[in-house]
Amino acid sequence: MSEFELEMTVNGKPIHRRAKPHQRLLDFIRDDLNLTGTKEGCGAGECGTCSVFVDGKLIKSCLMPVAKAQGVQIETIEGLAPHGSDLTTVQKAFHKTGASQCGYCIPGMVMAATSALRENPDAGIEEIKERLGGNICRCTGYTKIFEAVEIARDVIAGKLSSTVLDADGAGKSYIGNNVRRLDAPSKVAGKLRYAGDMVMPGMLHMQVLRSPHAHALVKSINTSAAEALPGVACVVTAADVPGEDGFGVFVHDQPVMADDRVRYVGEAVAAVAADDVLTAKRALELIELEYEEIPAVFDVEEAMKKGAPVIHDYAAGNLVKHIPIRKGDIEKGFAEADLIVEQAYDTQPVEHAYLEPEAGIAFVDHDDVVTVISPSQNITHHRHMLAKIINKPINKVRFIMSPVGGGFGGKEDMIYQGILALATMKAGQPVRLVFTREESIISTAKRHPAQIKYKMGIKNDGRITAVSFEMISDGGAYGLSTEGVMRKAAILSCGPYDIPNVQIDTYGVYTNNTPSGAFRTFGAMQSQFATESHMDICAEKLGLDPFEFRRINMMRDGAVTHTMQTLGSVSIGRVLDAAEKASRWEKGPVGVRGSERKDVGGDDTRPPCTLGARFRKEEKNGRQEVA
Amino acid sequence: MLTCDKYHMPTSIPEALAIWQDAAEGSRLVAGATDILPWAREGRAGDVNLPAMIDLSRVAELQGYKVANGRVHLGANVVYQDFLTDETLRQHLPCMPFCSIWFADDQIRAQATLVGNLVNASPAADGTPPMLALNAELEIVRLDGKALKRRTIALSDFVKGPGKTDLQPDEIVTAVICDSLPGYGGSFQKVGQRRSLVISSACAVACIKMAEDDETVEDIRLALGGVGPVPVRLDDIEMLLRGKRITADLITQASAMPAGRVASRTRQEYRRTVVKGFIEAAILDALIECGVPLPNAAEVENAHV
Ligand SMILES: Cc1cc2nc3c(=O)[nH]c(=O)nc-3n(C[C@H](O)[C@H](O)[C@H](O)COP(=O)(O)OP(=O)(O)OC[C@H]3O[C@@H](n4cnc5c(N)ncnc54)[C@H](O)[C@@H]3O)c2cc1C
Repeated sequence: MSEFELEMTVNGKPIHRRAKPHQRLLDFIRDDLNLTGTKEGCGAGECGTCSVFVDGKLIKSCLMPVAKAQGVQIETIEGLAPHGSDLTTVQKAFHKTGASQCGYCIPGMVMAATSALRENPDAGIEEIKERLGGNICRCTGYTKIFEAVEIARDVIAGKLSSTVLDADGAGKSYIGNNVRRLDAPSKVAGKLRYAGDMVMPGMLHMQVLRSPHAHALVKSINTSAAEALPGVACVVTAADVPGEDGFGVFVHDQPVMADDRVRYVGEAVAAVAADDVLTAKRALELIELEYEEIPAVFDVEEAMKKGAPVIHDYAAGNLVKHIPIRKGDIEKGFAEADLIVEQAYDTQPVEHAYLEPEAGIAFVDHDDVVTVISPSQNITHHRHMLAKIINKPINKVRFIMSPVGGGFGGKEDMIYQGILALATMKAGQPVRLVFTREESIISTAKRHPAQIKYKMGIKNDGRITAVSFEMISDGGAYGLSTEGVMRKAAILSCGPYDIPNVQIDTYGVYTNNTPSGAFRTFGAMQSQFATESHMDICAEKLGLDPFEFRRINMMRDGAVTHTMQTLGSVSIGRVLDAAEKASRWEKGPVGVRGSERKDVGGDDTRPPCTLGARFRKEEKNGRQEVA
Repeated sequence: MLTCDKYHMPTSIPEALAIWQDAAEGSRLVAGATDILPWAREGRAGDVNLPAMIDLSRVAELQGYKVANGRVHLGANVVYQDFLTDETLRQHLPCMPFCSIWFADDQIRAQATLVGNLVNASPAADGTPPMLALNAELEIVRLDGKALKRRTIALSDFVKGPGKTDLQPDEIVTAVICDSLPGYGGSFQKVGQRRSLVISSACAVACIKMAEDDETVEDIRLALGGVGPVPVRLDDIEMLLRGKRITADLITQASAMPAGRVASRTRQEYRRTVVKGFIEAAILDALIECGVPLPNAAEVENAHV
């Protein structure tokens, strides 16, 4: 690979360096110029975190070979408000509205917003949305971002005083007041360093070899050719674990890397630490692995049957956890009912899709303390587990939490920190691993897919007499948070309703699918989806207004939950009132209202797709046909 | 991850062709790189090392466009954003702004070329249906000894199947030449998983010219994409509508016709339903762009019952 001379101007400064032909502009900006405000969220042009200006036009630097940038003017997030100068109006507006949460998408968003207002200083909200369409955010739901761009537009145009960008007074209490985030300036300026932005002298780059099989025995691993490749510092496998292998949020059933068996596609089997990513990738190809595929199971009901492939020896029935809850007398409750409604509900796996793919950097310090820096959502627990795995006293293990570029539960599992620790201990040098988006999707936890069977007994007057709720969740190949998720799903299964007779069973089951784990609501989303859908279906069957049906059954102050907890104050009544008002709900059972839906459309609702509306002509009045 | 041994940036056609002819087997031409870079990732081609990449974006002859004799000559380096921002192009290619606004996003449109889109020959390519509707031809060049040898080929003959074209190993596409349709109303319909940055599950394009009376269709062009191995021109519907007074009944009749063209491998039923609505919407939207009153709205609604 022949290097070439590259000249360009970056943020006003002339640059003259050697570059490699395969580098993308993104790699050059981040790795060679150390301008890490420009992020990589997907590497495939989808997410927008890598947006930079090239000769004044915003482009995605992950899709531009660096050779294309010969002689051009580049402007990155760092160039918008150069060191020592004030933030730009757009950046200040992002700070003001709380538009930056995890912050990982924010440099790209600020760039897109800046571009939008440069292209059209008078852009309306629909055009702003259009022009930010190439940038993805997973925290904000975009509202605060759009609000920021509109404020910035009006301040720049002089229509709003720049004082709107100042902090609001907090008054006597922060509660109920608009308080700006302390960390926002570093995020809107692209200064905050996430784990993948960090570098250390002598740092090695890691690549991970992952299983192509859902269920297979690992017959042999030969790493000698990979180790012999120049530039490779070390190869690590399960054989390098000095202590007791196994991690998980509840049951420690997952090895740092597969030992004698792989249980899902994407499971780590070996890893290489080398001078650069390319060398590490080449070394992966030299690892000789012999697998013997064994029967796999991908369906929870199949997995629970006798004779199904057993995924973990300790759990012969493939059960991770069963949470049963009983209250009252379920038989009696159904016997009292005038109407019994049964329905099944299925949910699908969901990827967290935080904009920051997993990344970490590990090193052994001067006191032999093994240190891992990563966006872990659970560092203390990770520290304790890792100490056991690497057989060190707890004071020789340190976890540092880097800024989390979105987690949503997906970064609670110690999926890669152990591999980094083993490699840095073996190589004696700092090691960094940055996941690709594909790797993040294939190897990390998903929201549990659930199959729910709901049965509800109701009196004609709308009172619920009994509920039986059975949820079977696909935990995938390893336990991770499954136990806790099953617990929460069971606890919250019947929603905020006062039901005298309850029978609840949630099951987390092992399969050879991608492991399921924590995800915002931790199991409640699945059960609430079923419960609230069921409430609507039952209200319709009874001919009751769905709000009314809920009010009849809602818990009130002093209610006792089905886990026998007495509640001091219950807010569901106020929540229902607020939801009813905000949705402009027309009272009455569904299906009996007039043909015109007055609650649809109007204030605070989104118009249908307006893409390209700014180019369209006005529609003329329809032709009057003469009969 | 895409790697290459050499990255060339020729500035003229002869230089580009000479490098291309001598390039080792497996080398690739590059325009905006928006197809080629994502292609070399896990789940698609995986890690790929190319002997050489020959980047055409600095070739002078491929820049810009010319309008002459009722045709628009679009240099191979014309990118999608040009169809949105260039007044002249918007006037002569009235369906292209609507196609472009649905295409990827601001950033990618600044890089992605129309030619790259046509050569990539995805069944879901958004550029192919409009270009079929505009009777596009591709201008192609290769070296014959030292001489430049040029040929043109109709787009309908050029695209042969998913990822397959008539392009020969030593050839470079230099331009797309298509009808210039000022005075036509254009429209573009697209559906995918989300609004921005989405590959079409189905798309449709219409260009309509109305007669003086504002009611008779003087000319109409219709094409569909995403519904089979290659995008299709809907000549039968065009024939039905050309020269007719446009009525709600006629539009309904037309929109029922293309369902039979759906030949995708997946979601056929869905696409059949979508295509029906798309043809109607494409016609109505294009009529609005023509600045003519639409057939009586109530009548359109009734025609559905
Ligand atoms: C996030 C994202 C969103 C996208 N959205 C859309 C979308 O909405 N609709 C859509 O249709 N596509 C979409 N695409 C695909 C892609 O952007 C288009 O197909 C684009 O037009 C390709 O053009 P390019 O210039 O980038 O091509 P390149 O990637 O440079 O090249 C594509 C192919 O064409 C060949 N080629 C290029 N120029 C020439 C030439 N002059 N002569 C001969 N061969 C040539 C190359 O060798 C290559 O095989 C999207 C891509 C991404 C990454």
